[in-house]
Amino acid sequence: MAAIRSRPSPLAWLVAPAALLFVLFFVLPFGVMAVMSFYSGNPVTNPNAFATTRHYERFVFDTAGIYHEALWSTLRIGLVTTVVSLLIGYPLAHWMARMQSRLGHALVLMAVIAPMLTGIVVRTFAWMTILQDRGVINTLLIQWGVTDGPLPLMYNEFGTIVALVHIYVPFMVLTLTGVIGRIDERLEQAARSLGAGRLRAFAEVTLPLSLPGILAGSLLVFALSISAYVTPSLMGGTDVLTLPMLIAQQVGTSFNPNFAGALGVILLLVSLVIVVAYNRILARLSGEQGMA
Amino acid sequence: MSAALNKRPFDGGRAAYLALNALLLAFLMLPIAIVLVFALNPTPYISFPPVGVSLRWFAKFFAGTEFMAALWLSLWVASVVLVLSILIGGACALALARGNLPGRTFLTAFFMSPLMLPAILTGLALFQAYLLSGIGRPVWGLILAHTLVAVPYVIRTTLAVLYNFDRRIEEAAAVLGASPARVFFEITLPLIRPGVFAGGVFAFIVSFDQFPVSLFLVVPKGETLPVVLFNYMKFDLDGAIAAASMVSILLALSVVLVLERLIGLKAYVKL
Amino acid sequence: MISRHTISRRRALRTGAGLAAAAAVGAPSILHAQPRTLKITTWGGKWGEVMKATVLPAFEKEFKCTVSADQAFPFVPKLQASAKNDPIYDVLHTNSNEQWNSFTEGLVMGKITAKEVPNVADVYPWAASDKIVGVAIFTSAIGLGFRTDKGLAKPASWKDLADPKLAGSRGGYIIPVNSLGQCHLMMLGKVYGKGLTDLDAAYKALEALKPIKLVDFTGQMEKMLLSGEVSMGVIHDSGVFRYDGQNQPVDFASPSEGVLALEQVLNVTPGSKVKDLAFGYIDYMLRPDVQKLLAEAVWYSPANKKVKLDAKYDAKLLTTEAKVATLIQPDWKWYNARKEDIDARVTRILKG
Repeated sequence: MAAIRSRPSPLAWLVAPAALLFVLFFVLPFGVMAVMSFYSGNPVTNPNAFATTRHYERFVFDTAGIYHEALWSTLRIGLVTTVVSLLIGYPLAHWMARMQSRLGHALVLMAVIAPMLTGIVVRTFAWMTILQDRGVINTLLIQWGVTDGPLPLMYNEFGTIVALVHIYVPFMVLTLTGVIGRIDERLEQAARSLGAGRLRAFAEVTLPLSLPGILAGSLLVFALSISAYVTPSLMGGTDVLTLPMLIAQQVGTSFNPNFAGALGVILLLVSLVIVVAYNRILARLSGEQGMA
Repeated sequence: MSAALNKRPFDGGRAAYLALNALLLAFLMLPIAIVLVFALNPTPYISFPPVGVSLRWFAKFFAGTEFMAALWLSLWVASVVLVLSILIGGACALALARGNLPGRTFLTAFFMSPLMLPAILTGLALFQAYLLSGIGRPVWGLILAHTLVAVPYVIRTTLAVLYNFDRRIEEAAAVLGASPARVFFEITLPLIRPGVFAGGVFAFIVSFDQFPVSLFLVVPKGETLPVVLFNYMKFDLDGAIAAASMVSILLALSVVLVLERLIGLKAYVKL
Repeated sequence: MISRHTISRRRALRTGAGLAAAAAVGAPSILHAQPRTLKITTWGGKWGEVMKATVLPAFEKEFKCTVSADQAFPFVPKLQASAKNDPIYDVLHTNSNEQWNSFTEGLVMGKITAKEVPNVADVYPWAASDKIVGVAIFTSAIGLGFRTDKGLAKPASWKDLADPKLAGSRGGYIIPVNSLGQCHLMMLGKVYGKGLTDLDAAYKALEALKPIKLVDFTGQMEKMLLSGEVSMGVIHDSGVFRYDGQNQPVDFASPSEGVLALEQVLNVTPGSKVKDLAFGYIDYMLRPDVQKLLAEAVWYSPANKKVKLDAKYDAKLLTTEAKVATLIQPDWKWYNARKEDIDARVTRILKG
């Protein structure tokens, strides 16, 4: 029924405020930062600064041996965090979306959102209390005789992922629950009345229909987890070194904003490539136009 | 709502479903329970197990003019950011989904980019830009910076709902004689409300809890709560920050509840 | 009605003319009446509380100015990004390593002498030594914190941290981001090798310290000691002494090889438009009464020799020539120049 529209509709103008905000507050400042990444210092305040590609060379050639590893760490942690957040977030979102009671719904909503509000540092101390060698979990495990010695749950990649998942599950849940809520329950009922079990009705009706939410949620969590640095710094000891952590170190303790800018450009380019590829592939898979 | 839905059989399957969700909720709430324990524990350093119950940290928090000022500033900034993000982000999502823009894939990824960059870079880049252009560090600069990082959320969640949208409802209304504007305001907008609401919640929380960007853009006596807490904590490790955390959670949750009542996550139309 | 308007207009014009005349005559005095603003940086927590409640208001009153104190750490990146002739701070308060970074980039001045800040004449040598740019107003001693209830003897040497019995329960810092960790690394070079600059010996010793729990900032180390997660860790004396009177089973040991200095250093930006005020502020912070107040609030050792602390503080802090002699000040200029390589190397050593 929809005619093939090749020209933008008037609705396209609605992109203007966002475009303006982004050009002024994102493109321009980062443009400046990207330009600075090709300088040895700040050309405005430092007359000795000269143009150079050495920051990029430093990353590409990686004589220090840590930069490439940092990039892989970043992507790996991002991927694992996304998958785990999805596995945890989907059941919660489904429950929330299908809940009948308004009060129950509000309570679960608050419980889901609360982790996002705890505050970065306090949250770390809470995890220290839970995960460290003498923390709650290890004390209980040893008491119940499940293990002899404490399990290394903190100051490594495991602890980092647990903490990241905890922060990002709410994002996943809130993205999914809107989409799942829009799925007409009668479609599932119809499948059930035709003889399908609950699990099958879910897998063949609800799950596919919630795909846009899954994709949106995954993309969101992935983007967030590959840019996280405070949590990995506090939870990962030296076991974890991601690109954002390196960037933060360069800005905050090595005082080298030019190299930090170069790393940021690299991270952004890699992320954009991944995101665009992801969108394209899944648009093709789900067969819907303009899924991206 | 069909009657059949109300009669959910409570059997093994449903019990397992509820048990799973309860477990997942417990995972989410565990650190918060610990923070609450810290906030009520009278010892002047963060420890576990608790030795008692005391309200001294809450008293210290409320008595601290710096904490309270920062709390109000954070709340106020987050509220403004909420409104701005919903308007700007919602409009953008509509344009992306319905406006038939060229390079839509790229544009969507572009609008998501602030999320992919470590916020410390965003903060530094904006700080440099503000100083270069002589703006300094006014509050509206902080608000717009927060809006920049909040808008992608609204765009994402609204797009997700727009793509799962049954256009025939709109087309039916149009066929029945409603003007495009009327279709938009009375059909489209209410139906995308859940997406906009979810995005709005994000925007509020992201702004309220925002740390790295604020770090660069706040001025003395105009600091947001996360900044004040972080700097307090680097020096003093007592229960005051846990109390601050609990108060933040409760306040922000109240705002979210109010939002839920007004905009409504569950308020979708069923025909 | 018209007459009322004309009267008030006339009156307004007359008063206006009068004011303008007064302004023209009294202009210089009006200019002086404008309070100047001094932009400084400060830590948060207890230090910040005392500054905001007592020290800064008294300073503002005496020097007839307003002080704008930035608490949002990190400070140097912000100073870096601001123009040299209009710096975002007049006075930079940070640790010695960051002061050297800033000095290398021309963001802060070099040595500050008694000419600019009279009270510099009364400070211990470490506060105005060659290893300092600007002038130090306080210091802490970096040594070993340990639990007193684990049957451990009070550590006498830095080498005690490497005791095999402590495997898995000793603590250190993530070196790239923490200056105590950087000091510790240099100390390893001195203790196991030829001196503070013997990096090869330091790297070897670091490798031998594994397994070791590494944290980002001293607050986490304090928590690890208090909860028993580690039995011994590198920490500054202030971080242990602040729990004085709370019956905690933790204590601080100054190893025989010496303790490293963690100085609180003030410096002035060359582009500051209120340099006299800035120097006046540093001089103020070196006054014995101000030094005493802050030292006792956060357990810092004061730089001014003339400060008389209360007995319990005097016993533990570095307040005599003899005690001060145990302080070792690292060469931050040397370290900062090599920081990138050191960071990469220690990351590789300590990973996994």
